[in-house]
Amino acid sequence: MTVSDVNETQPNLRFSQIGKPLTRTDSPGKATGRTPYAGDYVMPGMLHAKVVRADIASARLKRLDVSKARALPGVVCVLTAQDMPDRTIATDIPGQTGRAKLKTDQQILVKERVRYFGEPLALIAAETPDIAEQARRLIEFELEPIPGVYDPEEAMKPGAPIVQGTDNIVATHKIRKGDLEAGFAAADVIIENTYITPFQEHAFLEPEVGLAWIDENEVITIRVCTQVIEHFRAVADAVGVPHNKLRVMGAMVGGGFGGKEDVTVETYLAILAQKTRKPVRLEFTREDSFLGHGKRHPIKLKYRTGVTRDGKITALDVQVLADAGAYVYLSPYVLLYCAVNAPGPYRVDNLNVFAQAVATNNMFSSAFRGFGGIQAAAAYEQQMDEAANAIGMDRIEFRRRNYLKTGDPISTGFVPPSAIWTEKCVDLAWQALGEPTPSKGPIKIGRGIAASQQSYGRLTFLHDTSEAWVGIEMDGTVTVRSGVTDIGAGQASSLAQIAAEIIGVTLPNVNVYNSDSQVTPLAGTSTASRALYMTGNAARLAAQAVRDRLAVVAAELLKAEPAQISMEFNQVFVTDDPSRAMDIADLVKVCASRGVHRSELAIFRAPFTDVLDPETGQGQAHPDYAYGAQAIEVAVDIETGEVTVLKCIAAHDVGQCINRAAVDGQIHGGTQNGLGYALSEEMLYKEGRLITPSFSEYLMPTAMDMPHVETIILESRSGLGPFGAKGIGEPAMTPVAPAVANAIADAIGVRVFEMPITPERIWRALEAARG
Amino acid sequence: MYGEFDLTLPQTLQEAVKALNAAGKDAVPLAGGTNVLIDLRSQRLVPKQIMDLGRVPGLRGIVVEGGRVTLGARTTVSDLLASPDIARCGPALVQAATVFAGQMVRNTATVAGNIACGSPAADLVPPLLSLDAEVTLTSTRGSRTVALCDYYTGYKADARAPDELITAISWPVPEANTFGTFYKLARRKGDAITVNGVAVSIGISDGRCVRARIALGSVAPIPMRACNAESLLEGQVLTPERIAAAAKAAAEECSPIDDVRATGAYRRRMVEVLVARLVENAVQAMT
Ligand SMILES: Cc1cc2nc3c(=O)[nH]c(=O)nc-3n(C[C@H](O)[C@H](O)[C@H](O)COP(=O)(O)OP(=O)(O)OC[C@H]3O[C@@H](n4cnc5c(N)ncnc54)[C@H](O)[C@@H]3O)c2cc1C
Repeated sequence: MTVSDVNETQPNLRFSQIGKPLTRTDSPGKATGRTPYAGDYVMPGMLHAKVVRADIASARLKRLDVSKARALPGVVCVLTAQDMPDRTIATDIPGQTGRAKLKTDQQILVKERVRYFGEPLALIAAETPDIAEQARRLIEFELEPIPGVYDPEEAMKPGAPIVQGTDNIVATHKIRKGDLEAGFAAADVIIENTYITPFQEHAFLEPEVGLAWIDENEVITIRVCTQVIEHFRAVADAVGVPHNKLRVMGAMVGGGFGGKEDVTVETYLAILAQKTRKPVRLEFTREDSFLGHGKRHPIKLKYRTGVTRDGKITALDVQVLADAGAYVYLSPYVLLYCAVNAPGPYRVDNLNVFAQAVATNNMFSSAFRGFGGIQAAAAYEQQMDEAANAIGMDRIEFRRRNYLKTGDPISTGFVPPSAIWTEKCVDLAWQALGEPTPSKGPIKIGRGIAASQQSYGRLTFLHDTSEAWVGIEMDGTVTVRSGVTDIGAGQASSLAQIAAEIIGVTLPNVNVYNSDSQVTPLAGTSTASRALYMTGNAARLAAQAVRDRLAVVAAELLKAEPAQISMEFNQVFVTDDPSRAMDIADLVKVCASRGVHRSELAIFRAPFTDVLDPETGQGQAHPDYAYGAQAIEVAVDIETGEVTVLKCIAAHDVGQCINRAAVDGQIHGGTQNGLGYALSEEMLYKEGRLITPSFSEYLMPTAMDMPHVETIILESRSGLGPFGAKGIGEPAMTPVAPAVANAIADAIGVRVFEMPITPERIWRALEAARG
Repeated sequence: MYGEFDLTLPQTLQEAVKALNAAGKDAVPLAGGTNVLIDLRSQRLVPKQIMDLGRVPGLRGIVVEGGRVTLGARTTVSDLLASPDIARCGPALVQAATVFAGQMVRNTATVAGNIACGSPAADLVPPLLSLDAEVTLTSTRGSRTVALCDYYTGYKADARAPDELITAISWPVPEANTFGTFYKLARRKGDAITVNGVAVSIGISDGRCVRARIALGSVAPIPMRACNAESLLEGQVLTPERIAAAAKAAAEECSPIDDVRATGAYRRRMVEVLVARLVENAVQAMT
């Protein structure tokens, strides 16, 4: 990291913990290998589960014979849809209030119709993993192929096989403002292009795994790696128990990226534990994992942009078509993000966006870091370069003439409450590229820039809330309890840092209990770049309440006013006379003896809104937005199409770093994720069948492929999170892929409109250009 | 999940070939296991017996003697990278080893395993073909050598009898005026299956090409020599036109297919690009 830029309006703000690159509370355990993950938990007498999957994408289940598997010694239970005819599982966002659920309930096991390759047919629980695997092979099934549909355009045609609903269309969103016709009429040049993005796999280090048992209170308890413990409600409904009789406990998660946002193994575990009344463990192999969770939506985005010769965007028309795959899952919401972000961080007064998500017999698509906003960015930032080229204007200058500025309305007419520092991010990132590397022979050098807009916080019509409890013990140590899941980004550690800052203790003196749906206060999901914003605020409120009560007593003991009291590094003192001081632990003892309430449960509420206007898309969709930029320099071999990323700069306004090292880590990871998206990662399906079933076909960037990543962290202190923080989990990835695409186009003089931009696609584009 | 099999751990080469003779097709030799374990797990391979060669002495090492370089069958890819002899006598092999898998696999993957796995994408094979390598096969009946260019008889089929082990790989120390090089074209830089592998070994004397070996990986059912291209170069002055003609010939004599990594059309064109590039590099390096 290099530059740090703090909002000039608050020059005197001083923190003792916040913003520092402190060692995260979860780091030592991870570095030493002591931290248990969900897969490390075992129980005496536990059974081992297996999921049996369909091997055709569109079929009718004609015969399913599990008798041989049931007869195998050591097999405790084999379940099919016959054994639970009425059971379904919601695939919707859980925990929402105020809105009707989408109609997305799904069969848990195939009853009759197979809709995607890998759809589960049966569940097995056996005494050992080997027996479970043997049993899997003994299950006989016959699938009769029925015509499927594998392309969203085909799926919308009359007479297409129906996968979902009556017409396969699972969501439509419209955004309209200004006068599109007049806008295009005012344009000197109209640029029209179609951009295509691929299925992307989350490929977290830790495949899905969990352990379920029935506890002494008859509660079905599941220890699982998940981003969302609050699926406990959906799982309870699926297995027919009250919500307070199903408990989901998380563990430290080995990566989620949206792939552990939907229910994964929980339902199977709950069903099997309920049936066998024994502890049951289910661990997905990598192959299961590839088949077992939704992918990033492949989206086709058609952009038509009107611009004047002096570089003003006068109109933008965007048509979005997303492949939702075989089940609805989060497609409507992902699509909404795509629609809302369609113009990106640019001011477009005459706008039309028409977005649809369509069911096919491909793998279902759902949440993935960036959640529709990434696909929009891939398109709008390439289109910005195309438009700049069309009018012969410098790419940065063209952007400068169109940036949204602080206080400007975005596509939905909503004015983000925080600062919009796109220009700063772009300029700093671009400058940091330094001297251009010279081209040599067939190796051509190119540079690309991309700016981005990405929300943090969930859709405001979901009425999101988050709770945290903070208490202080008599030795001056602090406990935080909050249901937030820690998916590796340091969610728990951030809460500790916030409590430490406010109460004035050092970080090792704070312990966080998190991720338990019945015991820790519910905090919502670790998704949507919201955990810090929402739960961080809840922890801030709770810690502040505790601190305020301590300060009253401290003021009395130190003969000062509460406002004059400071608490830092386990000491409490009078701000202007630090010699009048005492240990926080001693203060707490006094508080305890007086019966002062030493804990607080706080709730934080995001803005609550209604849905966007269905015809115009006007209104508020998200609490706020984060802005950033990526600058990339590539070398492209114009004979082979090979790409080497030479320089890679990321500049993001994060509002306020809570832990600078963690922010840096998110940006590095987001960059890697985005480089893979741009250059090599693609889940390929042939008639719905996965033809990239392992890491030898699905190619993420390795250490050999990664450039040095330079991060520029800006702090506008304007965000809605604690201390003015914004989110960075998703924004870190959003601008990466289009910056790469723009750099490649700059290097070779033609554009590859489809990601990933493989050597062969580059070669083909060059061949086509050569004629 | 692995099926059940017997594991044998021969302590000497004699024991190994005896056991192999008894088991025949039922036994699968195990070297580094970087192919075998994956095939076992996916059950592409369901053997009755696995014979681990790890305890057989004398199978690992690099010797330069009497004008020949000889590698023991269990010499690993990392061993190649650490050897000054290989750097001198097989620089193309070093280049292949550098872009071979990742560090952990390089530490255990062996040269014989790479040859015996029969993959058209095996990265060490084109460099070895370009060096005129020979494979030594040993059984209870004794030892014989087969030229590597005759070793493969078809897709995943080879000249090795079921009771034979590869015990060594050898090639003549290159003449002073030869230049060898290898290039791996792949979808990413680390740990990738080769889209096109090209190795060349070019000898020039008095301005004329006295030796041309062009070996190609991933563009035919087996790793192959581009013999037509070679014959267009040998005995000639290597002008750009000549090199271009040879590169074109190489592209014509290979038979690449479409797969998830690339189309046959792209691969064929890349053979032309890379052969031309590598031969030109060789010429430049020697003039
Ligand atoms: C992650 C990963 C990355 C990889 N990357 C590459 C790469 O970049 N390039 C590449 O070319 N390969 C790559 N491979 C494939 C593999 O590593 C190589 O083919 C390796 O050389 C195999 O050697 P081994 O010793 O592990 O063979 P093993 O797996 O032990 O054996 C392979 C085959 O050879 C046979 N065999 C082994 N030794 C003998 C012998 N002495 N006599 C007769 N038969 C024998 C075995 O029976 C088996 O059929 C990769 C594999 C993995 C898992």
